[in-house]
Amino acid sequence: MSINPVRHRHRSEIIGYLPLIIFAGVLLYIGLNAPNFLTFRNLELILMQSLPTMLVCAGLGVVVMAGGDDVVSGGIDLSIPATAVLSAGTTAVMLTQGYPLIVCAFVAFLACMIVGFLNAALVTRIGMTPLLTTLAMFVAVVGVNNVITSSRRINVDHPLIVALRSQDVFGIPLGIAVVAVVLVIIYFATHQTRWGLHLQAAGGSRDAAEISGLPVRWLLGQTFVLAAFTGFICGFFVLARGSGSSPGVQDNLMIEMILATFLGAAFSVRRVVTMWGAVLGAVLVAAISIGFKSMGVNVFWTGLIKGSLIVIVVAFAALARRGR
Amino acid sequence: MWNYISAFAVVIGLTVTVPVFADGHLSLEGKTIGVAVVGTQHFWDREAFNGATSTVENLGGTVVPVDGGRDNQVHADNHDILLNSEVDAVISILGDGAVEPKFEALKNAGIPVFTVDHPSPHAVNNTTSDNYYMGTTIGRYMADAIGGQGKVAVFNAFENALRICGIRAGLWKYVLQDYPGIEIVQPELAEEFANAPEDARKKTLDLLSQYPEGTLDAIHVGCWDQPAIGVVQALEEAGRTDIVVTALDGGPDTLEIMAEDGTPFVANVAQQPNLIGSTSAMNVARHFAGESLLPQTYVDVVPVNGQAEAKATHEALGYGSLD
Repeated sequence: MSINPVRHRHRSEIIGYLPLIIFAGVLLYIGLNAPNFLTFRNLELILMQSLPTMLVCAGLGVVVMAGGDDVVSGGIDLSIPATAVLSAGTTAVMLTQGYPLIVCAFVAFLACMIVGFLNAALVTRIGMTPLLTTLAMFVAVVGVNNVITSSRRINVDHPLIVALRSQDVFGIPLGIAVVAVVLVIIYFATHQTRWGLHLQAAGGSRDAAEISGLPVRWLLGQTFVLAAFTGFICGFFVLARGSGSSPGVQDNLMIEMILATFLGAAFSVRRVVTMWGAVLGAVLVAAISIGFKSMGVNVFWTGLIKGSLIVIVVAFAALARRGR
Repeated sequence: MWNYISAFAVVIGLTVTVPVFADGHLSLEGKTIGVAVVGTQHFWDREAFNGATSTVENLGGTVVPVDGGRDNQVHADNHDILLNSEVDAVISILGDGAVEPKFEALKNAGIPVFTVDHPSPHAVNNTTSDNYYMGTTIGRYMADAIGGQGKVAVFNAFENALRICGIRAGLWKYVLQDYPGIEIVQPELAEEFANAPEDARKKTLDLLSQYPEGTLDAIHVGCWDQPAIGVVQALEEAGRTDIVVTALDGGPDTLEIMAEDGTPFVANVAQQPNLIGSTSAMNVARHFAGESLLPQTYVDVVPVNGQAEAKATHEALGYGSLD
């Protein structure tokens, strides 16, 4: 039996567009059924709610870019959400003790950098698997944060933190503007600079990059530090969104980060993890969840619907990738 | 036997005196009510949620339900969705300080907020158990159970974060001031909000290794009783069931544990979460009917002291017979 290669390719291209078509269909369905879903205010709400996820997704996207997108052996950093709550927890505790915000932020920055450098050292110097290293780091950092905050809720009402949630600049919410700037800088650094091209080369084919003389381990290590930095920034958005630090925020952030990043790959042309794909994934996950909630879907069903939808999209992406 | 009869009488008395069913004129016809709950994994949360949603529907209203998945942040964010959906009113069940700015935004948008177990300056009304009675009663029961003296460890993560927990744990401590022989072990333990039974089990095992046999007399959970499930498990694993366990909430799961022979779980105060949720929904209807509401509506609780009362309360609150 022979397969017509043209038709085969054609079919895989259609399958490749299915994730987008499914998502567009679901969003349209929600838009028609949920009051006020297709409004500017709701778009703003979706963006505001996905800001912390966008930041950690961007961090993860860069690590995957330099380490390769094999979940087990490639680049992955599961500790970013823990770094984010460490940043939030440290800042919250110090603010309640009366330190100025700049001092709190500096200490939080140092704490997050320690996490980033530890990840980098363990993965690139000792040669541990990123998946296990950063998962262990996640547990350890959450543990440290629990010690710092005594596992308790801490309210924060510092005007600058509140501004991230409720201040507008030129008609755009400050939070969205800040995250947009951070994302554009990260994008520029990873795509428009020599350093960024080296990162991509390292992730594309590690062997080829090493043969051509690139310091692959050094580059990969730098991405863990950059990822920890996105966690540090994310901490302030966690504080702003929750008007303080609540225990347990990292768990949901972790799930959303992984979902959004790998869901984002389903939307990229080559089916690989990209920073903008991950950011788009974050927005879509938030949009779907907000949509179902606005429609008044039974709460006992939302988890199942959301999970199934994501599995379907990622499965089609895998099919399309196999068919190429 | 007398315990059994008196507990039964109390519960019957409660169900008769509750005024909820006397409000036949109330209606939520044509109204859309957002119901935000912090989670639906635990009996208490789920029952309060079910009580609120079914009452809104029985009164002719439409429910927009949102579930925080036992994550206070997600719960708070869900209020933005209700704001955007332009519901007529919001019933918000539990939640920590993260919900306050959301309540304020709802109020500013002209959407009245009704809270359950979360007093707030931005809410029209908060419906809750009589937390003052819960705190003092469990204090007396625990003190009695250890003969008025000994060392007590307490799981108390939320005393400063949630007002209801501040009342319950604060009044428990207030009662203990009159028992100079009772010492609260420092530092206090902090249980996790999600996954509480397993977390409390581990923390109790650690605690037991710090306090060898004969050096600890009771473990109290300051604001709820899901952690107590794990505490009892740990005590049974370690063979230390001489240590007394007390807690608050009294859902069917924990009443069952209290009803077992030889259980260390000796005292509780049972709430009526379904009735609390339902009462909050009735309050929404009263508000729309133009009636003025008090800032707090208290729903009665049932003290549970010992195995016999646990069985009686389990049956009287409609959870079925344990015999």
